[in-house]
Amino acid sequence: MNLIVIIEDNPDSARLASRILQRAGFEVIVGDEGELGMEIVLGSHPSLILVDLGLPDIDGQTVVAMLRQHQHLDPVPIIAFTAWPEHTAHEMAAAYGCDGIIVKPIDTRRFADQIKAFLTPDYRSS
Amino acid sequence: MSNAPPQTNAGHSDQAFVKASQYTFETLAQLYNQSRIDYIVPMPMNARRMEEYILYNDVALDASIVTLNGSGEETGIGMLGLRDRRAWFTRLGVIPERRGHKVGQFITENLIQQARNNDATHGQLEVIEGNEPAFNLFRKLGFEPTRKLLVIRRPPGKAKTSALSDTTGATLLTPDEIRACLTARTDQPSWLDETASLLHAGMLEGLCLGGDWVIYRKTTVQLSAFIFNAPENAPLLIRAVHQRHPMLDTKIENVETHLWAAYQAAGYFEAFARIEMHLSL
Repeated sequence: MNLIVIIEDNPDSARLASRILQRAGFEVIVGDEGELGMEIVLGSHPSLILVDLGLPDIDGQTVVAMLRQHQHLDPVPIIAFTAWPEHTAHEMAAAYGCDGIIVKPIDTRRFADQIKAFLTPDYRSS
Repeated sequence: MSNAPPQTNAGHSDQAFVKASQYTFETLAQLYNQSRIDYIVPMPMNARRMEEYILYNDVALDASIVTLNGSGEETGIGMLGLRDRRAWFTRLGVIPERRGHKVGQFITENLIQQARNNDATHGQLEVIEGNEPAFNLFRKLGFEPTRKLLVIRRPPGKAKTSALSDTTGATLLTPDEIRACLTARTDQPSWLDETASLLHAGMLEGLCLGGDWVIYRKTTVQLSAFIFNAPENAPLLIRAVHQRHPMLDTKIENVETHLWAAYQAAGYFEAFARIEMHLSL
């Protein structure tokens, strides 16, 4: 089963995203702070990491930058999960090594498909 | 929270406030996070970061407030930093579902009063560019915009080098030299970058290159707070810092716009901007 790690401090947002992804067949682990999230990622084998850019201990961007320094995570998509204005979020996510962004609030009908799209071999090789 | 009686003031009979010092850092962080959850740029804090923010920036919790509605529920928060006779208004926010009752005005008016009670003669704050309701409220209460400040970031990565920008001669400043440089600085920092904030926060490092220097804060995960003695040589000094710390992420708050080109050339991009505003009390 594909494991998704969600690093997100907003409990409502994390709960909603988890529920949708679990219903779509994913295993989900949530870390509500950056340090905890990194521990979870480095102690597991996630298929995809979803990172809120605004975290209460370490900035989400810094978390992404630190995760990207672990070569074994190179093939793992890291997706910025953010309410930032989209143009800023795109620029920032790309600069920090994210593979894409998902804007909050999530579209509950599309969310699982958005995640699945990032996991396709075609997307990863593009 | 203790049972000290809430205070009210005229014109806001359904609202009251209590001193922020009656709350734990954990609760203050929760209230602040709740109030900013739908902000343009949410910047949540945990209890530890809230405590650091208060200590580093001389926030006076006895002069900072948490507001309550008629049912005794928390509606918002506002903090006041105090240095000499200056007051810094910060961490203001109203919980979204309790907005619409002029809570923001109630918070700001009471912070102004707290500043006066503490003999401050000058007030200052920063508001995120684009937050028109807050900007208009501060204008209405007498604050005047003075300058635009940028919050900028640079992901980890080596700085580009060129024959014309040799930084190999950069040497580290000692702690005493760092303190001496900060004492001699002539720039006009925002509150966050004032020497008091930097010294409270610690973890300062400095580089000297051909008589010019840059001082910055270095934690295990991030660089921040760059201070230069000669802004015209900022491009070279910025490059020297990133050549020394290529693997660290960088976030610099409240950069003056005249320095933006130097940062941009070193691979920075703008995250968002703030407007600094001042008020004579």
